[in-house]
Amino acid sequence: MKKVEICCIIDDDPIFVYGTKRIIKEVDFANSVIVYNNGQEALDGLMKTCIANEPLPDVIFLDLNMPILNGWEFLDEFKNCKSPRSKKIVIYIISSSVDPRDLERVKNYDQVDTYILKPITPDDLTKILGALVES
Amino acid sequence: MRTLAVDFLLRESPNAIAIVDTKLNFISYSNEWIQKFTLNSNDITNKHFFDVTVELPETLKTAIINGIKGEKNINTGEKFTLPSGKTLWLKWKILPATFEANEFDGVIIFLDDITVYKKEIELLHKAEEVARIGCWELDLNTGLVNWTKTTKDIHEVDENFKPNLEDGINFYKEGIHRDNITHLVSTAIADLKSFHTELIIITAKGNEIWVAAKGEVEIVNGKAIKIVGTFQDIDERKKIELAHKEITERLKITNQSAKIGTWDYDLIEDKLVWDNEMYRIFDVKKDQFSGVFEAWSSTIHPNDKEKTVTATKNAISGIKDFDEEYRIYHQNGSIRHIKGISKTIKDFSGNPVKMTGANWDITDLRSAELKLEQNSKLFAETFEHSAIGMALVSPELKWLKVNRSLSKSLGYTEEELLNMKTTDITYPDDLTDSEAFKTKVFNNEENNLQLQKRYFHKNGKIVHAIIGVTPVKDLKGKPSHAITQFLDITDSIDSKRRLETLVDVTKSQNESLTNFAHIVSHNLRSHSTNMTMLTKFLNKEKDENERKNLNKMITSATESLTETIAHLNDVVQVKTGALEKLQSISVLNTINQITKSINGLIEEQKATINIDVSKSHFVNAVPAYLESIFLNVLTNALKYSSPNRNPSIKIKSILKKDHVLITFTDNGQGIDLDRHGDKIFGMYKTFHKHKDAKGIGLFITKNQIEAMSGSITIESIVDVGTTIFIELKQS
Repeated sequence: MKKVEICCIIDDDPIFVYGTKRIIKEVDFANSVIVYNNGQEALDGLMKTCIANEPLPDVIFLDLNMPILNGWEFLDEFKNCKSPRSKKIVIYIISSSVDPRDLERVKNYDQVDTYILKPITPDDLTKILGALVES
Repeated sequence: MRTLAVDFLLRESPNAIAIVDTKLNFISYSNEWIQKFTLNSNDITNKHFFDVTVELPETLKTAIINGIKGEKNINTGEKFTLPSGKTLWLKWKILPATFEANEFDGVIIFLDDITVYKKEIELLHKAEEVARIGCWELDLNTGLVNWTKTTKDIHEVDENFKPNLEDGINFYKEGIHRDNITHLVSTAIADLKSFHTELIIITAKGNEIWVAAKGEVEIVNGKAIKIVGTFQDIDERKKIELAHKEITERLKITNQSAKIGTWDYDLIEDKLVWDNEMYRIFDVKKDQFSGVFEAWSSTIHPNDKEKTVTATKNAISGIKDFDEEYRIYHQNGSIRHIKGISKTIKDFSGNPVKMTGANWDITDLRSAELKLEQNSKLFAETFEHSAIGMALVSPELKWLKVNRSLSKSLGYTEEELLNMKTTDITYPDDLTDSEAFKTKVFNNEENNLQLQKRYFHKNGKIVHAIIGVTPVKDLKGKPSHAITQFLDITDSIDSKRRLETLVDVTKSQNESLTNFAHIVSHNLRSHSTNMTMLTKFLNKEKDENERKNLNKMITSATESLTETIAHLNDVVQVKTGALEKLQSISVLNTINQITKSINGLIEEQKATINIDVSKSHFVNAVPAYLESIFLNVLTNALKYSSPNRNPSIKIKSILKKDHVLITFTDNGQGIDLDRHGDKIFGMYKTFHKHKDAKGIGLFITKNQIEAMSGSITIESIVDVGTTIFIELKQS
């Protein structure tokens, strides 16, 4: 089965990062995983990668509630990134928030594919993988 | 001899007689002639008639000359005016004579001066005419009727009219007048009874007049032979009399329908007479009392007796006419109000002789007046005590009268308001509306108008009112003033505003509660999901090292959960924290206490703390909150200090009105407020990469400060430092 080349996790919760990494390994979701602890870190890192013309992640798992630059702010900044390569990245929001306003807000961002409620499960990743392969 | 005898007889005749010959010389004459008609009393025998006779009318002279020629002439009486101007009445008989028959040839002249007699008749007629009293005479033997000139004048017939009995009677007006006179004349003839009556005749010219006819019967041998009487025109008097009678009658009716009782008191005879209306007004029977004065005084209310008796005495003695209002009792016990007036009539010497007066019942008037008075009083009372403001306002918008409620609403005394115009205290933005409203009210456009407008209270606050206005017109229909009702709705406007504010507060609180709920659910979920996930891993994990690692993480997740719950508890505590726990706390003491407690941290970071807080600054605060706030702010300053320099924190306090402003200025990392300004005090917002950043400290701090009615603001420059401003109520 085909798998994702690079998967990027943006989350400040180490336990979540640990768990997600573990599930990725379990379902053999990606070849490599990049982790950023908040939006600002991710933005800086991705920008650097882009400029260096190094490979960008295919998928981003984005948390919403983070210090410094939260998920929404990251999305706003990321939209401004003019690189055509960045447009290909599929973003999944993975959050504990059940606030309907958050679910509604997601619709404003075309690049966000799905809103996934924590905890993330192996099934979720399998589905994502299936969808990615189809497209 | 014979001649002598005749001569003698002639001479002694009581009449004036003269015999003249054909040459007009006197042959013989009577002594009476000499006395009356000759110029002097000498013997006139053989003297010429015209030489010795007094001035005579030409008619007579001619008659005498013609007498010589054998012509007889008789004049039964005629009035003559002589050339000398003398007027006289003469009556004569001239008889021619021949010698053969009378022993002489000539004329016998009988002459009589009847002037005196005629003058008397004339005077009588004149008197008749002036008095309009005529005479009449009925000869019962011949049936002839004789009327004097005045009688004829009254009947308006000419002098030649010759009436008979039937004619005379037919002049009386048909009906009772003619019947009456017929009866009276018949009775006079049959019973020899004189009469005196007043009746109407219709004159020959058709005029209807009142006459008085009087008849006396002349009796001869017990039988009526003649009725003579007078006939008088009494039309004018009768008509006046009748008119007077009519007026009297009318007055009586008027008095009766106007229910005015009248009375007369003859002071000389000491006799008081009441008309029927008086008895009715005073509700007494005619025969109930020995005298009407007793009847009157018996009805008077005891409280009014003295004044009426005094007034009566004054009236009788002529000091002052009676003019009193007093109460009387009717037989059924009801009280009536009576108005009485009198007039005292005095004789020539000023002594009161008679009193006349009138009384009428004014009970209805009194009760109407009373009712009016009560109504006015009621209106005045309603006006004064009305819960809503009321005022009378002139067309120039001056207050004419204001009540207590209005004074209270506007804060001005009645006196102050009456010296003002309504526009003086109208809110400027409402002046145009007020003017337009006034025009509407006083231009008759509508009767009841309402306007919501604002006034200034004496204390400067705005008073909201709904005013309802009814214009009042004077007798000419011109607006004289307006009755204004003033409903003070300031309280309801204020409470509406408070309510709106409350709604806003509730709304924002609701919003923050929703936020809070989501934050809570998010944070609790993130820990619980972590634990779920880790537990699952643990169940599957075989590797002992990895299991240890997982256990460690589960412990950490559990701790985080506990911590989160503790935070939430803090927040809830603050949210429900009551203001009644507020105490007066020294700012300096609290700061000293906190700095002491974190002394280890301060020393570790080599931080310097500069405190410039006055000992006298006390704030109204919950002690635990204040400690927590200061602790939070200080540890934040140390936590987010710049790695490039030793932390330096300045704490300062100043008084600002009734607040104490406490500032904490550090030289730390600072924070990008353009970016994070809106979230700085949010829950679980963190802005620094710091292991201890939980995003709860400032959130709780802000909530605690606001719970104590204080405020917190922040100023910060990245890599320069941050200043936190805390304002709390001074105590």
